[in-house]
Amino acid sequence: MTAPAHTILALQQVSRSLAGRAVVRGLNLELAGGEVLGLLGVNGAGKTTSLRMIAGVLAPTSGSVRLGGEDLYEQPELARRRIGYLPETPPLHAELSTEEFLAFCARLRGLARSAVAPAVARALERCELGDVRRRPMAQLSKGYRQRVGLAQAILHEPELIVLDEPASGLDPVQALKLRELVRGLGEDHAVVLSTHVLSDVQACCDRVAILHRGELRYSGSLGANDQALRVGVSRRLHSVDWLSLPPVASVEAIDATHWRVRLKPAAAIDEFAAAAVGRGFGLQELRADASSLEHTFLAIAAAAAPAEAA
Amino acid sequence: MSVAGLIARHEGRRLLVQPFAWTLAAIVVALMAWQFLLSLQGFLQLAPKLGGIKDAPGVTDLVVIPLLRSFGNLLVLLVPLITMRTLAGERRAQTLPLLLASGVGNARIVLGKYVGALGFALVLILLVASMPLALGFGAPLDVGRIAAAVLGLSFFAAALTAIGILASAWAAQPALAAAAALAIASLLAVVDAGARLQGISNAGINYLALPTHLEPFFRGLVASVDIVYFVLLVAVALALATRRLDALRSRAD
Repeated sequence: MTAPAHTILALQQVSRSLAGRAVVRGLNLELAGGEVLGLLGVNGAGKTTSLRMIAGVLAPTSGSVRLGGEDLYEQPELARRRIGYLPETPPLHAELSTEEFLAFCARLRGLARSAVAPAVARALERCELGDVRRRPMAQLSKGYRQRVGLAQAILHEPELIVLDEPASGLDPVQALKLRELVRGLGEDHAVVLSTHVLSDVQACCDRVAILHRGELRYSGSLGANDQALRVGVSRRLHSVDWLSLPPVASVEAIDATHWRVRLKPAAAIDEFAAAAVGRGFGLQELRADASSLEHTFLAIAAAAAPAEAA
Repeated sequence: MSVAGLIARHEGRRLLVQPFAWTLAAIVVALMAWQFLLSLQGFLQLAPKLGGIKDAPGVTDLVVIPLLRSFGNLLVLLVPLITMRTLAGERRAQTLPLLLASGVGNARIVLGKYVGALGFALVLILLVASMPLALGFGAPLDVGRIAAAVLGLSFFAAALTAIGILASAWAAQPALAAAAALAIASLLAVVDAGARLQGISNAGINYLALPTHLEPFFRGLVASVDIVYFVLLVAVALALATRRLDALRSRAD
């Protein structure tokens, strides 16, 4: 993914109460163009409320949501062209055909009449909806409806795309394609993605923010250099063998032939792989290790007391 | 096209692709056609006796205006059925965020929904009015008076639609929205009934009542005071509906 550009979204001390209960408290977040932020949290953590505030649907009780430096709730029309939002339940007018509905959404988002047809065609293609373009959405499966919801969120090429559980209802193949799509979107847009699926975050996101009981408990990068690698080898090795490789910062044994390896900040994965092969470790497996994020997430979810944000 | 116009056209399109609107239109037209034929038959039986009377009421007085007046009563029931789903239906189907997140503004959402629903009500008025107008081929009609009555019905429908939109913005369920709209419209229809029973017809309470302002149109009188009443009613109802959407945005319903 490209390097982060200017800040697109900034949440400053955003809080929101619903029915007298604080659902989100003092949330601070920033997101730059070309970044994908994964918002994680257990049910009731405040993810959906946060996303609704980011999308311009729900005004914060206090604090500000800024889009390109301007307050979204003082200038709600900013959302029209610059934000795309897929809520948890795709907001579809099911009696219409996919194509007709998307054309309406394009016009609603302020696209010129002449730009509607190409935008709809592009969104249909990106979300692989071409074969159901003329079918009433009431007849579509849940997976297709989710993809129409995604198509309406991206068809006006917004700067910021807000996706609430986009993988919900998708089969594994569709979920994989969604990851690719989000990764692709992240190259040109800022994307905020809420999900329960840790591997989705691992695969799509540059950064992760973990919410728990309405508070931001963790915010950190998921850059390759910060990630742990899961390495499988055919030889029985000791920690010192790994630490003798220049790119390795730390190592932890999973079992006799599998290791969790962290690289030094400047080290590249191919450099590490070349070193391991060069030393004849019998490299058999090398992949990103999701368990470090999982450990962080589970530790936060299990914690009763507020932890410090990283 | 303005955003409100876009939403209005979209509303109209959504109504057209659903059987609900067609069924409603078919029932209304069948009901009014039946009533039209009955009153026409009654007129034809009465016509020979009317021939000898000076300034006898014509087909406009005995067939057309009663039919339109009767349709006015039906509109009180009908319009809430048209408007109930405009906003409450969106909330129930969880599709309101599509409009709220589009940044087009609550007033334009309300106006678009209003114009869309009113368009359908006006089509029904034209359909019903076209039946007695067909008599023009064979009988002299008081076209001016009929035009005034249709104009009055249009203002009446505009007010009822605004009340319906307001109820739909307040209620989370379409059925509740329809019931609330019917209750408000009925209240406005009978608010001066007590006063009228006591012979009071020119007091403030009479001004509040819907029939006070609709009836002159049926007599062929187009008065600015009546038009102002309907316009005010529409403006207040739509402003309240917009306020309700503002509140929903800050309450996250």
